[in-house]
Amino acid sequence: MRRKLVPAIVVVVAAAVLALLVYGLTQQGASRALDEALATGHRPPAPEATRPLPVLDRVDRSQESLSHWRGRVVVLNFWASWCDTCTAESAVIERAQRLLASSGDGTVVGIDYKDLSSSAQQFIDAHGMSYPNLRDIDGSFAAAYGTDALPETFVLNRDLHVVAISRGEITRQSWLTYWIRQAARV
Amino acid sequence: MRRTLAGAAVLAATAALLVAAPALAVTERTSFIAIEQQVMCVTCGIPLAEADSVAAQQEKAYIQRLVNAGETAAKIKSQLVTEFGASVLALPPDSGFNVAFYLVPIAAVLAALATVALLLPRWRRNRRAAVGAAARGADPDGDADPLSAADSARLDEDLARFDPR
Repeated sequence: MRRKLVPAIVVVVAAAVLALLVYGLTQQGASRALDEALATGHRPPAPEATRPLPVLDRVDRSQESLSHWRGRVVVLNFWASWCDTCTAESAVIERAQRLLASSGDGTVVGIDYKDLSSSAQQFIDAHGMSYPNLRDIDGSFAAAYGTDALPETFVLNRDLHVVAISRGEITRQSWLTYWIRQAARV
Repeated sequence: MRRTLAGAAVLAATAALLVAAPALAVTERTSFIAIEQQVMCVTCGIPLAEADSVAAQQEKAYIQRLVNAGETAAKIKSQLVTEFGASVLALPPDSGFNVAFYLVPIAAVLAALATVALLLPRWRRNRRAAVGAAARGADPDGDADPLSAADSARLDEDLARFDPR
């Protein structure tokens, strides 16, 4: 009996370490739960909508959550100053903001991801971004959206449910305009 | 009187050191390389010293600015945590759940030592018992001559040869 005990303990410990390794590896990848829900015709609620995030371009260090814009269409755009494709995309996003502002339907909300606040502010000034920007300091807000590469954009309807996702740079203005109109209808 | 004066001087010197120590600590400077080795590239998930992405270069430039401004290592790390969160530190802070990061290895070593301390006497006892059993198996009564008659005779012969006359 005792002779079998030690190998049994070794096997259990090895299995536990292996399980921990597998768990760690499976947690590495970005979640695609929102994409899968959209693919099956659902409109999933925007994750972390009530979580307050620091407002980037305010010196008083105030915070805001997505729920502040409930009742309006929100184009949620993840970006960072170190992201080259975000530079290329910024004109498309700014045009969307002007469309939303002129119609009164909603706003773009930028989420600055893992970025220096000073660099982010310079980026905002350089690209004339006229919409509010929040800081996702450690990337945990982005992780809830399955975002681990930039830029990514989520179009939310007035109930803050996701209606469209762009994982990567938006190159066609028409794609964003179409989904803003779809979101405004609901 | 002289003893009292010497005591007062020692007390004054100690008090001066106590007052000056925090001031000296505040002005203690650090180097870019020292900080670089203690923090991570937040976007690449590798030590900053090994990273060369655009984000890593921004982070390095920020650290260099703080070092040039004469900030202490603690202040620079605190600033980095404000900008990027606690995951920027290569070693997690020793508070809250992160304490486990430091305690678990120590606990594991202590558990291993305790196991050895508990099992060692038992192993030694078992070993002694096994040796004893083996000896009893060869001579269950303990009173038999361990040598055969032939060996005994040869031993007597050898001893007789060395016996001084």
